Amino acid sequence: MTATENRPTYKYVGTRPIRHDGYDKVIGKARFAADQNLPGQLHGAYHRSPHAHARIVSIDTSAAANMPGVKAIVTGDDFPTLDAKHPNADTAANVMARGMAYYHGHAIAAVAANTKAEAQAAAAAINVEYELLPAILSIDESMADGAPLANETNHTKFVPPGEPSNFSTITNLDRGDVDEAMGAADVVIEREFDCAHVHQGYIEPHACVVDTGPDGKASVWCSSQGHFGVRSMTADVLGWDRSRVKVTPAEIGGGFGGKTTVYLEPIAARLSEKTGRPVKIVMSRDEVMRATGPAPEAKLKIKIGATNDGELTAIDGWMAYGVGAFGDMAGLIGAMSIASYKLPNLRMETYTVLTNTPKSAAYRAPSAPHAAFAVESVVDEIALKLGMDPIELRLKNAAVEGDLTAMGMPHPRVGLVECLEAMKVSDHYTSDVPEGAARGMAVGFWFNIGEESSATVNLNEDGTAIVLTGSPDIGGSRASMALMAAERLGIDVYSITPVVADTEAVGFTDVTEGSRATFATGKAVVQACDDLIEQLKDRAASIMSVDADQITWVDGAAISAAHGGSEGGEPLTLAAITAQAKRTGGPLTATASLNAAGAGPSFAVHCADLSVDEETGVVSVLRYTAVQDAGTAIHPSYVEGQLQGGSVQGIGWALNEEYIYNADGVMDNASFLDYRIPVASDLPLIETIIVEVPNPAHPYGVRGVGETGIVPPMATIANAINAATGVRMTSLPMSPPKLLAALNKRGK
Amino acid sequence: MTHHRPFTGGEAVVEVDGGTVGAVIDALEERYPGLGEMLRAGSSAGIDGEVHAEPEYLPVSPDTTIYFLAPLVGG
Repeated sequence: MTATENRPTYKYVGTRPIRHDGYDKVIGKARFAADQNLPGQLHGAYHRSPHAHARIVSIDTSAAANMPGVKAIVTGDDFPTLDAKHPNADTAANVMARGMAYYHGHAIAAVAANTKAEAQAAAAAINVEYELLPAILSIDESMADGAPLANETNHTKFVPPGEPSNFSTITNLDRGDVDEAMGAADVVIEREFDCAHVHQGYIEPHACVVDTGPDGKASVWCSSQGHFGVRSMTADVLGWDRSRVKVTPAEIGGGFGGKTTVYLEPIAARLSEKTGRPVKIVMSRDEVMRATGPAPEAKLKIKIGATNDGELTAIDGWMAYGVGAFGDMAGLIGAMSIASYKLPNLRMETYTVLTNTPKSAAYRAPSAPHAAFAVESVVDEIALKLGMDPIELRLKNAAVEGDLTAMGMPHPRVGLVECLEAMKVSDHYTSDVPEGAARGMAVGFWFNIGEESSATVNLNEDGTAIVLTGSPDIGGSRASMALMAAERLGIDVYSITPVVADTEAVGFTDVTEGSRATFATGKAVVQACDDLIEQLKDRAASIMSVDADQITWVDGAAISAAHGGSEGGEPLTLAAITAQAKRTGGPLTATASLNAAGAGPSFAVHCADLSVDEETGVVSVLRYTAVQDAGTAIHPSYVEGQLQGGSVQGIGWALNEEYIYNADGVMDNASFLDYRIPVASDLPLIETIIVEVPNPAHPYGVRGVGETGIVPPMATIANAINAATGVRMTSLPMSPPKLLAALNKRGK
Repeated sequence: MTHHRPFTGGEAVVEVDGGTVGAVIDALEERYPGLGEMLRAGSSAGIDGEVHAEPEYLPVSPDTTIYFLAPLVGG
């Protein structure tokens, strides 16, 4: 279902063609990174730190080097140490330890051997002497007065240079007079929350094959959210020029933010350089869980004041995000994501703190889910206390164009009110709550970003087209790019072949993050098509023997005003023009590159019906609806897929998922058996409602849709659990043992 | 620019002259040593309702309000 604001009627945009890469993926022909094999390739394996924090005194690889099949071993000594201010300094230190192990699982050495088993055996035979150091395993430990340093090289960002610190950021956001507003409020609710580390949970483990040739150039095959990012990070970690690295993108089996960085590629490149043979490395699930980025853990305190008629007058917050042993700004971003309500008085004290746990990586709308869990839970309590419908209370306070976000900037045109209205009249919200169940709802916000993108569009002699972009297809973007090109050029979407091109075949394109691909890369595709249309008009003018300014482009064809215009002239189709390309000036091709501004922020509203088994603490989600503003849904099926995917991951985050560390900082549940993500049988079909409030900064009104859907589920579930049981859950995950304990404390 | 207040002595809003964002950053650096380097190390800026990444050479007019933001990221 789509609630559509007034916008132009499109021929292709908004339709649902079968995705161009669909057949390959359905029949198993699509090639993912681990499917790649090269003649003579070696296999890589890691020796990883058994300690959460230790100084590396010595590494003895002599025994390993003499083991069967072993061809090369690398350690931190094989890589340059980047200047602390280098943007990839932390990435370099994370992919291979340099003198210090900062978490259990930190890479200490890597081996290339004829077989994976030989590489693993040799990696295990590497003898490392460690000097154990105190391990910081929680936010509280990190923030304690006199706490040991989790990473002695860390300095706090956004402040004048000082001593090393466990704080990556300490930032305060504020406006208005919070104390006065709280004092004048009729209702004040304050709660404390905590959120465990969770993993992005992509099905495909990290994998790559790298072939470093005798010319010193490395060819990399890997799955990622951005192969240009892989190129730059790999080159920087190796100390190489970027032209020495070519990255060919494989299909991607899920990333969700976790594949915006590198772990394997620089290591495989160095091993390949040393051996003169291609090197393949594929992580195990255990390695993925222990050594690749989870989302941060967090602790939050949120206090909100309101008047008796439901006006939210002030918010006072404290947030600390634990991000592992390397710098980040998760705390600041979490506070900045508070943007759903007018809230004239705001004060946020935020911290990003280091711990000796794996380096955090982005996860869909990074930092916002934690903040929304806290804020939306308190807003729910205020609605209950005032006896107001939760949607009505939110409508009364919903941010609209011109209202300030927590970061101080006013909102552009946004669609929160439209999303709330769509939920209010939805079949779900207007239906009775099922017998024995309860209902909860919450909202979510995400900024979305623009950044750099490139696109090249080549017209073939027969009027078909190739669209090359540098954005990996992580959510149906091939189809979206083809649809936008079809709409612009006026040719059938299946006459367009969308290609995700390698780093030597298309212009620089930033990593796919911030829900930016359809917005920014789509903008580049449209610009390239507009350039082509001008070229087509020039060629048509030559063929028709008229001036170019006499030509207009209508529905895939040139029309000459001199020949009667659209009333009487014979249109010259795109195919008729490309057929004459050689005679009119040669091939028709266009490239556009841009740094896209104006990514439209996105809001979502979710609603859940659930039941709670009070004997076991198990929560069963019975019905779930996600409403979200997509601006314009280029391919509605893939927008719906993003809404459903974000919802499901958020429900998993809400109910089950967490890193469980032992006292030594070792993860005790590093498998999908013990780290339980939701499977299809756990959940009902996620119902979706796409709201379209077009983004004026995109030619078709696109807002990114990939991330916002994960922001509301935790509070949605918590609010429904509260409605079902009277228990306010403030700790994620709300797993059966924790919920059962809370129910027992409440008394049955 | 609230998270840059350690450089501005607590001021959240300041007025400086400059024809581009880069010129504004230069003026801020002159008044608040260290702030310019921090802003150039990676900032986004909200200008006229749109967020720009590294808008060093973007023209601004005398009545433009620039919101210097932390570099926005995503997943």
